[in-house]
Amino acid sequence: MTAVLSLRQAGRSYDDGHVVRALRPTDLTIERGDYITVTGPSGSGKSTLLNLIGLLDRPDVGTCHILGRDASSFSEAERGALRGEMFGFVFQAFHLVPGRSAVENVELGMLYGRHPARRRRALAREAIIRVRLAHRADSDPRTMSGGERQRVALARAVAGDPVVLFCDEPTGNLDGANTENVLELLRQLHGEGMTLVVVTHDSKVAAQGTRRLRVDDGVVREGA
Amino acid sequence: MHGDSAVPTRSRFRPRDLFSEAVLSLLAHSGRSALTAAGIVLGCAAFVATMGISATLSRQVSASFDIARATQVVVHQPADEARKSGAATVGSPVPLWQRPTAVDRLRRLNGVDSAGPRMTLPERTLARTLSTGGSDTQAKIVGVDAGALAVIEPHLIRGRYFDRFHDRTAAPVVLLPANLARVLNIDRVGVAIFVDDRPYTVIGVFDDVTRETATMGSVVMPFSTAQLLVAGSATVPPERAVLIEVRPGAAHPIGNQAPLALLPEASGQLESIAPPDPLTLRRAVEENVTMLVLVVSFIALGVGTFSIATAATAGVTARAAEIGLRRAIGARPRHIFVQLLTETTLLGTVGGIVGSALGIVAVVAVALSNGWEPILDVRTAALAAAGGVVTGLIAGLLPGWRATRVQPVAALRQ
Repeated sequence: MTAVLSLRQAGRSYDDGHVVRALRPTDLTIERGDYITVTGPSGSGKSTLLNLIGLLDRPDVGTCHILGRDASSFSEAERGALRGEMFGFVFQAFHLVPGRSAVENVELGMLYGRHPARRRRALAREAIIRVRLAHRADSDPRTMSGGERQRVALARAVAGDPVVLFCDEPTGNLDGANTENVLELLRQLHGEGMTLVVVTHDSKVAAQGTRRLRVDDGVVREGA
Repeated sequence: MHGDSAVPTRSRFRPRDLFSEAVLSLLAHSGRSALTAAGIVLGCAAFVATMGISATLSRQVSASFDIARATQVVVHQPADEARKSGAATVGSPVPLWQRPTAVDRLRRLNGVDSAGPRMTLPERTLARTLSTGGSDTQAKIVGVDAGALAVIEPHLIRGRYFDRFHDRTAAPVVLLPANLARVLNIDRVGVAIFVDDRPYTVIGVFDDVTRETATMGSVVMPFSTAQLLVAGSATVPPERAVLIEVRPGAAHPIGNQAPLALLPEASGQLESIAPPDPLTLRRAVEENVTMLVLVVSFIALGVGTFSIATAATAGVTARAAEIGLRRAIGARPRHIFVQLLTETTLLGTVGGIVGSALGIVAVVAVALSNGWEPILDVRTAALAAAGGVVTGLIAGLLPGWRATRVQPVAALRQ
């Protein structure tokens, strides 16, 4: 069976006056159904790893493969479709659009995908119910608590039923009860067969993963 | 469903989604949008207002032009010709071309309504009483016969015109403009004034003239009466001319024939001043208007493009996170580009329509407050609105291109 995602000696460095090796050449294979957690200190390269495998950035050495195909061979149209339909992203800062209701924000996640507007609305409603925010479906995110916003962001990422869900610090700004809510949702999604890649500082979150990665100074080690 | 192993083909941005995203995005920053469109609103309003007001004005100009100016021809002797012929000497007699026989030849031309000689004397002293000093004033003296008076057509508020009898007998009578009458404290006719210590009877007071507005500041007397003043103490020779009122459309042929009729033996000594051909004039006015409008519309287009482009380019920086998010959820660079272009084009369209409407309001307001007939061309307003659309489109190119350079990683940064 083909791996969903794999890195082959892929690395990324930034030239910021002097060269910063954000991620040293890395080999990594992600199989369907994996629940991968990534830990490591700030600035260790966790986000760079997430950006590379999520096609938000390109490696400057090595290659990234999606379903066995070299990602650098994809056109912009295909990259867009991969990000929009095969991947789901939950950002640390939520990035909800103010002035649009929770359900509209969830719909936005499928805007560039294959579903017409009516279908997107229906899927968004389902996702909002799934994260137990039906009562706030028509509220502006600016009036919501951090936990509620995180659940809207999660609904937006999963409403289109992606193959892989990427989460950057999904519990970073949440208290204990909200953290437990989010973790419960992630467990459910994993149970349904979704592949998860979760970057976290929280050892409790990291313990959930079926595979645990640790990044230190741009070097990725497994099973820490 | 999580097991679907095919790579999705292409991300897309449906036209309806594009439109609603652009509108939502503009409404979300309605203040910024309004300020951005302000340049276009002003530009289009200026364009429509300029076009409308100049069209209204040119209709007005040609209307008043047709009534008085187009029906007048003046024949005079240029200064150098006058010197050669000896007419410029002080105390000269009436030249041949101003004499009744010459003017009668002119009057027989088809198209001449009335005609007559005029002389204008330099400023003389006017007084209400003889040699009191103090209250006296200065004014030019205009001598005209009854025919020339009919051309000038003063509008009397008191008294009467002089006629052929006064002219033949060189009667000492004058017509005064209202302002001079006021200065001299004259509020009725029949009283005397003194010009260079000679007495004249005021037989009429006028407050306006149809032609030769310079007459408004002068004492008007019969031609032969004024000729007596020339023979007197004049140190500067009078300016001499023949005034002709022609029927509409006859100004040009009469202008060509008049010197020959007045002075057949030496018509080259005379020059006739006919009004510009109405057709040429109107065309010139229209050309001026077209140039003005072109300049105005280019400025408007430039200002509008600049204001939208500046605001939208600044907006790209402010919206980096949103643009990054859109990229992360599947938007291609071209989708971002098209959305920004659509936003600026919508702004340009709305700005163009609002501006055209304001321009129309301005034209109607100016025309009505002046009692004119407003001239509005629907094509002008349509052109202005179309200009707004184009401006918005052009203005979106640079910020749109800048936006395509925003990388999706930007969405992950806080």
